[in-house]
Amino acid sequence: MSVSKNKATNLLRSSEKSSLKRFLVLYFILVVMILSLLGTFYYQSKEKLMYSNQRTILSDYAHEQIQELRRLHRDFPQKTEYPRSPEFRSAIYDIERSKIFSTLTNPVLRFDKELYRKNNLIRFMVYLDDYYLGAKYLFIEIDEDKEWYSNVMIEIFTLGTIILIVFAIFGLFFVNLFLRPMKNSMILLDDFIKDTTHELNTPISAILANVEMMDLDIMAEKNRKKLARINIAAKTVSHLYQDLTYLTLDHNRKSNDEWIDLKTLIDDRVEYFAILAGSKKVTFELDLNYSTIFIDGIKIARVIDNLISNAIKYNKRGGNIEITLRKDYFMVKDSGIGIEAEKVDDIFERYTRFNSSEGGFGIGLNIVKSIIEEYSLKISVSSILREGTTIRIDFLKGTVDDK
Amino acid sequence: MISKIVFVVFLTLSLTGKEFEQKLENKHNIYTQHCIPCHEHLPYSLEKIYMLYLKIFSGELTFKASLKAFLKEPMEETSVMPDEWIENFSVKEKTILTDKELDEAIDSYWELYDVRNKLH
Repeated sequence: MSVSKNKATNLLRSSEKSSLKRFLVLYFILVVMILSLLGTFYYQSKEKLMYSNQRTILSDYAHEQIQELRRLHRDFPQKTEYPRSPEFRSAIYDIERSKIFSTLTNPVLRFDKELYRKNNLIRFMVYLDDYYLGAKYLFIEIDEDKEWYSNVMIEIFTLGTIILIVFAIFGLFFVNLFLRPMKNSMILLDDFIKDTTHELNTPISAILANVEMMDLDIMAEKNRKKLARINIAAKTVSHLYQDLTYLTLDHNRKSNDEWIDLKTLIDDRVEYFAILAGSKKVTFELDLNYSTIFIDGIKIARVIDNLISNAIKYNKRGGNIEITLRKDYFMVKDSGIGIEAEKVDDIFERYTRFNSSEGGFGIGLNIVKSIIEEYSLKISVSSILREGTTIRIDFLKGTVDDK
Repeated sequence: MISKIVFVVFLTLSLTGKEFEQKLENKHNIYTQHCIPCHEHLPYSLEKIYMLYLKIFSGELTFKASLKAFLKEPMEETSVMPDEWIENFSVKEKTILTDKELDEAIDSYWELYDVRNKLH
């Protein structure tokens, strides 16, 4: 059961994987947005706290400066030196916002805000009730203490990271929760196939062995045709059995790689499928050169069987199949129904069938793909709707015999 | 020809310069002739009164407009002077100056005591 579960984890189709990715990306974006919003609120509250602390200090400075201005106004013009303090800088402006005097570092001021930060400076504005020296506005300026800012940023990033990790754990938990029904149905299907496969083996072997042993020479023509149909049906089931066996049992076994003569293998498999092709009046056109490849014999047989079987299955009646073998590639071209361009990428998905009118589980090309990926071979599909499909497998250097 | 043009330009410029200087002098003359003679005998100097005005009317335009309004229509209610002053010296009489002369005199007064030029 544990084996089935592990396999089921890998059973997600790419469309489901992309849906899962989209969900995770959306979830991540939402979490980041919520955290940014919370971070902004937190920052603003800390900024307000800082402002309220600074306001007390700045109000004291302003009060002190107003007293100095009052004295200066009283003693003017005997005293004309503008009052200065080492703790702050200041400026006075008249009611028409025209400068009277300023010791500020930057003359650009805002008259619409009582307290604001700009360029590492904090500015505080007070209105004067008595216009000493004609001043209506008094600005007090101090350098900003950046410590609160760095402390707040550290707090936001630390807390944000911790919350992000917690949310990520929740996200993974939810994903697993959502996927469980899907995984369960996959496991159920796999277990069903596995159980059925065991029950198929003995009867199919018995049918095929007995069909082979029958003496066709003494058989009436009518019966010979019936026997051929039995043979086709049994071979179709046998082919399906091979695929299912590979998928459920052989898939995880250790590969037994050896040099395989592909020309002989293809000839053998074409002969095997000849009766099935004959039933649809599909003819083979073989153009085979000698080629060997270092691969597991059972696996490459599954690849060839599935490509030929599909070429027959999806071919039109009286169509043909061209099989080409060269030193570095193998190609199967049929004259069948073809595939719509946008569906070409999906044909290797498990439980996907080109055409629902045809039988099968939709696992053949998925097996082909898994073997191709295991041996790092290159597969390419080109198809024209209602004209046919060509599947080509390129062998990489090192896997073929270069002699 | 060129020398004639240069001569005409020079003559115009010298006349314009002279006119400007004359105007400036007139402006100050109005202030010196019509304001100082009365105020120089009073205990509150014109500068003190300037500072009193400035404390109540911030900004050049406001200052000048308020002073002009007061000089044209002096009243106890609109005077910036302390009550003791009004009791002792009463409110001044209406100005005899024209609006233009009054503006020129106030401009001179503002320029003379402008705190911006004195603060350092």
